[in-house]
Amino acid sequence: MLIEDLGGSIMGTIPLGDIVLYLNPLHIFLFVTILVFTALIAISRTETQVEAMFGSLDENKVAVGKKEFKQRRFLAIICGLATAGAMITGDLFNFTLFMALIGIVNIGIVSAVKQVDVLNSAYQYGLIAMMCGLPLFGGAAMILAATGTLSLFELATIPASPMMIFGALVMLIGVCGESGIAPFFASKAEMFRTPGSPFILIIHLSSLFIIVRFVEILLTIL
Amino acid sequence: MVASVIPQFVPAFYSSMYSTALYGGLIVAFIGLIGISMEKRDIQVLILTDLVGLAMLIVVAAVGTDLSEALILPGLVVELAEIMAISEILISREMRKKDQDASFAPMPLDINMEIMTTAPNFIALLLIGYGVFLSGFTGGAVAGGGIVIYVLSRKVRGLPIFVLDGVGAISGISWCLWIIGFLLFFLMPKYWLLSLFLAALGLLMKVASKIGLIGILMREEYGRK
Repeated sequence: MLIEDLGGSIMGTIPLGDIVLYLNPLHIFLFVTILVFTALIAISRTETQVEAMFGSLDENKVAVGKKEFKQRRFLAIICGLATAGAMITGDLFNFTLFMALIGIVNIGIVSAVKQVDVLNSAYQYGLIAMMCGLPLFGGAAMILAATGTLSLFELATIPASPMMIFGALVMLIGVCGESGIAPFFASKAEMFRTPGSPFILIIHLSSLFIIVRFVEILLTIL
Repeated sequence: MVASVIPQFVPAFYSSMYSTALYGGLIVAFIGLIGISMEKRDIQVLILTDLVGLAMLIVVAAVGTDLSEALILPGLVVELAEIMAISEILISREMRKKDQDASFAPMPLDINMEIMTTAPNFIALLLIGYGVFLSGFTGGAVAGGGIVIYVLSRKVRGLPIFVLDGVGAISGISWCLWIIGFLLFFLMPKYWLLSLFLAALGLLMKVASKIGLIGILMREEYGRK
């Protein structure tokens, strides 16, 4: 499909040697939105999680220590910036790398938690993210083998061959696994039950943005 | 590999090796996945996962251009960083592990409400029916509320509660339906009605079956105290 049909008219290209960035309203909207959220997370303070206790009127407060809090804020900002990069990129190569970065930063955000069940689910999520490195990079390599390029600008003009479709579907599996959506979600849902909310939320936000952007990429190249 | 993108000076032997290397990588990954599915010890699973990561390097290296080499380096670095992070998580978890167990839906409070003994089944049925009629997120919440009332009423009346450990799985499978509906909506706009219903029913079942997770949550919270 033509690029013009999807994200609105192209506002211009930024040629950086082999890498050609192209700007259209959809990408700019997604890019600015995720940057605004990242800025909000960067200036926000962590919250203290208050849990009601069963059988009494007491409450159980779970606070996050200063050191852990700093580390998580840093990783959350990196995650936001990586997602913003994946939104604006005009290159499947860069998208793959940003996706891998988001996957590992997500593991880092939850790995500092001190609850056994959360650590357990972080471990499961990490395993899935590692396994999905294969379809993510492998799918990109198959598209490269089928067309000889990874630039979305050029992929949009090349008619889809069976191998390209197969590569794109394999890459879809990889993106789903790295960002932890539907078939691979179960462990990720557990990870949200940790104190220090704003930094955990960026995990969910980035996976939502990534799936929207990847659907657009699929439509562009197929 | 498509013949038109291969330069003339590459010998035919090398370009014909691409599919062999690709299948080789996929077979290695498959062997690794079978090993993971059979193995139960966490540390062994982690080591076998690294095998799948190595298969990724084979698949990418099979292309053999400079761009694929540029893909290999970050791939290798990401795999190494992930295996280090996960092993760190594993160590930290093992240090904190304790054995805890509690019964399903433990309730130290007595819920002595008339509504729990008069007609809870009818109310639950009504809520579930209305939830299915609504469909989507709202419907899921209403139907889930119906299931909560049913389970609570059985607990209050002292009847046995059968525990469904697979409720979380229903939630997961129905979320898959939702994702498929979402993708179909963009990829094949012709079938918008099908994808709309897939998404609505998937979301209904996902939210409604979250009650299974609430039961597990209660068990864990009680165990923590």
